[in-house]
Amino acid sequence: MSSIVRNEILARLKAAPKVAIPPRPPKPKLHEHALTGEAVIEKFSKTLVEETGIVHRVKTPEEVLAKLAQIAVEEGLKKVMASNDDVIAPLNLKAWGEKNNIKVMVPKDYPDRNSYRDAVFDQADAGITGANFAVAESGSLGLAFHKDQARMVSLAPILHIAIVPVDRVLAYYEQGIKKIFGEKGKYPGQFVFITGPSMTGDIEGVLFKGMHGPRKVIVILIG
Amino acid sequence: MEIRTRQFKELAAKWMKDPAAAAFLRKGPYIMSAKRENALQTFPDIPEAQAYGAVIRAEAIARLPELLEEFEKNATANGANVIWVRDSKELNETIVRLIKERGAPYVTKGKSMVTEESGLNDVLEENGIEPFETDLGEFIAQLLKRPPFHIVGPAINVPRQEVCDIFMEKAGMKECTTDPVALGYAARLFLREKFHHVQVGITGVNVAVAETGTIINVENEGNIRFTKSSPKTQISVMSLEKVVPTMEDALHMLRLLCRNCTGQRLSSYISMDSGPKKEGEIDGPEELIIIIVDGGRTKIYQDVKSREALRCIRCAACLNICPVWRTVGGYAYGFAYSGPMGQVLNPLLLGLDETQDLYRATTLCGACKSVCPVGIDHPSMFLYYRSKDVLADPNFEAKPRPAMERQFFKGFAFAVNRSWFWNLGVKMARPFLNKKAENGVIRKMKGPFRGWFQSKDLPAMAKKTFHERWKEL
Repeated sequence: MSSIVRNEILARLKAAPKVAIPPRPPKPKLHEHALTGEAVIEKFSKTLVEETGIVHRVKTPEEVLAKLAQIAVEEGLKKVMASNDDVIAPLNLKAWGEKNNIKVMVPKDYPDRNSYRDAVFDQADAGITGANFAVAESGSLGLAFHKDQARMVSLAPILHIAIVPVDRVLAYYEQGIKKIFGEKGKYPGQFVFITGPSMTGDIEGVLFKGMHGPRKVIVILIG
Repeated sequence: MEIRTRQFKELAAKWMKDPAAAAFLRKGPYIMSAKRENALQTFPDIPEAQAYGAVIRAEAIARLPELLEEFEKNATANGANVIWVRDSKELNETIVRLIKERGAPYVTKGKSMVTEESGLNDVLEENGIEPFETDLGEFIAQLLKRPPFHIVGPAINVPRQEVCDIFMEKAGMKECTTDPVALGYAARLFLREKFHHVQVGITGVNVAVAETGTIINVENEGNIRFTKSSPKTQISVMSLEKVVPTMEDALHMLRLLCRNCTGQRLSSYISMDSGPKKEGEIDGPEELIIIIVDGGRTKIYQDVKSREALRCIRCAACLNICPVWRTVGGYAYGFAYSGPMGQVLNPLLLGLDETQDLYRATTLCGACKSVCPVGIDHPSMFLYYRSKDVLADPNFEAKPRPAMERQFFKGFAFAVNRSWFWNLGVKMARPFLNKKAENGVIRKMKGPFRGWFQSKDLPAMAKKTFHERWKEL
């Protein structure tokens, strides 16, 4: 049935008059094309702050844990859900949680979708994730989802804390996207750009944060 | 949803008197236009960036069949299930069937304009499936049973008291508040419960990438991410013109869309799906179903001029800048799309006869064209529709103009082609016309020309024409 419809639709499109494909001018310029080194990190931090994100920068993994402990106190965190990605796993957050009296949950603790959903929707005070990259252009985080990076850790809790090594901060989207979509057949099921907290202006145009997702996004840069 | 495009004048008159709509229209569109202007400043060369968007969309439309085949091939290779449907009826039936097969009692919906076109929500309800719109504005519009006032802020004109009342009645809110933040939070709690247990999620598609078989959604609230992450089944519906050639093209379109739409460099969440979740992932859909809808687009595609309308990326910059939309608001247009975007799209989707007033309710000032990031020439489209309407072109579902009007213009054409006849006519009309003049201006007229004088005045005719005076010199 669908293939009959498919062929019919495509046949109608192909039978229509053809027009010339317009020539492509050079790709548009971006200010970020010229950014390198420390300027990229500065631009990222400045832009994310404009999007009401919070940016901290520390030198070492130990300092990350100390910063996390400080945030946990400030935000009153009791239970957090953490990813197991290549930034977060080496930090051994379970041990950090025991030391700081915070329950650290990971999606792998749960046998199925429903029990995981109960935890991530109703229990986690914050979600802690790494990121594949961050982009100065718009102060965005880029996260590709996979077995160690579950989708709702950065979405369901009211606070999202992302930890990003500075060498992953890029100037513009294309630099990061070519890594994610570089190899055919190896694309992630989903990839997201996260730019600041969840927000809306749908009631009389009054802007507020935390509509469905996090009300606050904190990025800790390492390095 | 009832199509009310024939009632443009009544609806416009009604909503221009609505104090809440008027209060929003006095400021809202100007603020949104200013935000857009401001966001565009982040491009080193604004015209270059906008023009490149037009070239991408023009190429996408020119290569449409080939790009759709490429998209389908790659999406299928990614593990998505691609289904094609002809029209609204087939779309609604397909979605109902898919949901029933999966036994879901309700669905959460991310904003999808093509299901707005098809009236999917009504059909779901008829079939015992509860649809929950989850974008805050769409949620309010759904509860109030209203069409979108603005494509980006569907209920932005609704006063907070009214939001409170409807939330108390239908969204389980216990205590009334007129604090927009508290109202938003009440909606968050209500819909969070739905996201938590949802089995099937339905979304639209902003951009489809042929090169990678990826679909992309743009949003600020996170409702689309929930709808694509929590349930086992994701159904994403796209009208067939959404495709662009490459991922790099998609990135440029995202830059343009977010700036032109909400004045953001990038909206809070851009999510890109290439197939369902992978082995070992605990959330994300086990099956990704992409429905490609014709919905009248292949017909539009037959005409190379009409086809330009398919470039539209629904940014709504044209609404915010339009002197007509800024006055009458979104309900007057009587369908899913309002403003210049709706005046271009609705006549093609619904036929020229059904949408008479839409392509006439324009000053032809071209403000819409000047902001369009994909190079649509709205005024020329309106003139094109008018010409097709007068010619009663059956391909555009136009019907012949009223007999009296046709006779009048036949007579008029005869007269203006013959100077003697014209001069005679002028002489005969002068005393008749000038009798109606007050202080040298004719303000109203009875009979068939009544309508023309509703919004225009005619200066009284001079005692002698230029030609007559010339002869006397």
